[in-house]
Amino acid sequence: MRIQGSHRFTAPPEAVFAAVRDPAVLLAVIPGCEQVAEVAPDEYEGRILLRLPGAIGSYRTHVRLVDVEPPVRAGLEGRVEGAMGTVDGRADFVLAPAGTGTAMDYRGDGRIAGPLARLDSRFAERLAGSLIDQGLRALDARLAMEDHE
Amino acid sequence: MTVSSYFLPASVPEALGLLGEHGPELLVIAGGTVAMPLINEGISLPGRVMGLRRAGLDRVERAGAELRVGATATLTQLVGQGDVPLLAEAASRTASWSVRNMATVGGNLFTPPPGGDVATALLALDARVVVAGPAGERTLPLTAFWTGFMTTALASDELVTSIIVPLDEGRTAFLKFGRRRANTPAVVTVAAHATLEHDRVVSIRLALGAAAPHPVRLTRAEAVVAGSSLEPAVIDEAAALAAEDADPVADAVASDWYRRRMTGVFVRRILEQLAGRAGRDA
Repeated sequence: MRIQGSHRFTAPPEAVFAAVRDPAVLLAVIPGCEQVAEVAPDEYEGRILLRLPGAIGSYRTHVRLVDVEPPVRAGLEGRVEGAMGTVDGRADFVLAPAGTGTAMDYRGDGRIAGPLARLDSRFAERLAGSLIDQGLRALDARLAMEDHE
Repeated sequence: MTVSSYFLPASVPEALGLLGEHGPELLVIAGGTVAMPLINEGISLPGRVMGLRRAGLDRVERAGAELRVGATATLTQLVGQGDVPLLAEAASRTASWSVRNMATVGGNLFTPPPGGDVATALLALDARVVVAGPAGERTLPLTAFWTGFMTTALASDELVTSIIVPLDEGRTAFLKFGRRRANTPAVVTVAAHATLEHDRVVSIRLALGAAAPHPVRLTRAEAVVAGSSLEPAVIDEAAALAAEDADPVADAVASDWYRRRMTGVFVRRILEQLAGRAGRDA
């Protein structure tokens, strides 16, 4: 499974980068995220509940930030694991100033195993893209709200 | 893990109570035509399932200038109603008799592309979705219901209870292009509702299905067509904009390139149909 995309934030890169490392922010913006905790510096564990048409699944997630260069780039290595299968992968994002905001580019690769792997990979890619987009929009809204407080 | 509990509530309050009691891990189904294949294949592994077929949501009734369609009304019921021919046609072009007898109108809103033919027609009809939750009912336009591919604005403690379809005057059209004539997933689905005055388009709603993450309105094409007399140049421009605005995914039915191309072709054809002209080849 391959993902890639971009997103524009109204907040500057420093604020976006800090938010990506804040468990409270991650809990609020990741779709279906029920818990998240920093178990070591730049290492997070959490639980995500995905409610999809015809399928509901709870996933344990373990993610580690690697190759961290604040506020420009970082990689996320991790594993998502549930009854419907596992996804192991790595994603990298780059932040660049864009006016008073930030332009984010991201790309990632994941290996799907278990029952989930029976789905068309294009289907899984589209779903992952949709969930990432929803999370990034929520992050943008949260940062914009903080800016006005 | 297999299904350990199946609940069959007899009312909406009972269904909401069960949803509150068991939380978001309770899988809600209606006709089961989306969920059951996934469960039988072992792709979806819910522990607890709630079916809404007995919850009293299966009525299709006219109320003043609206048609109220219960969320668990079947597609066969839609085929049989005479108030909105566009919905009858969209339902009749969906899947097979056996599936239409089980599949529900509410369920069609959750069917990922290339499904959702009825949802596409409902979008062209400016339908609204009634949602019930612990805090009561709320109604949202269908344009605000979908938030992405397979994701909706429905909260985890809410249920879709009905769909309200305004009975507006106007011309309607529905075109579904599949690999076969019947019982086929769509390459592209287009639905339209237009009001015309002396051949001039006063208002138009164009909805596209199967070629986007969820059914979408083709707002740029609509803006070009509104106020025109559907002249060939206008139709050409609208079709080109529609193809640009499609966001299709490739699957076993069609490539994304082909779906985009067919979006232009079928938007052109539906506009020619509304104009009362025979279709030209693209």
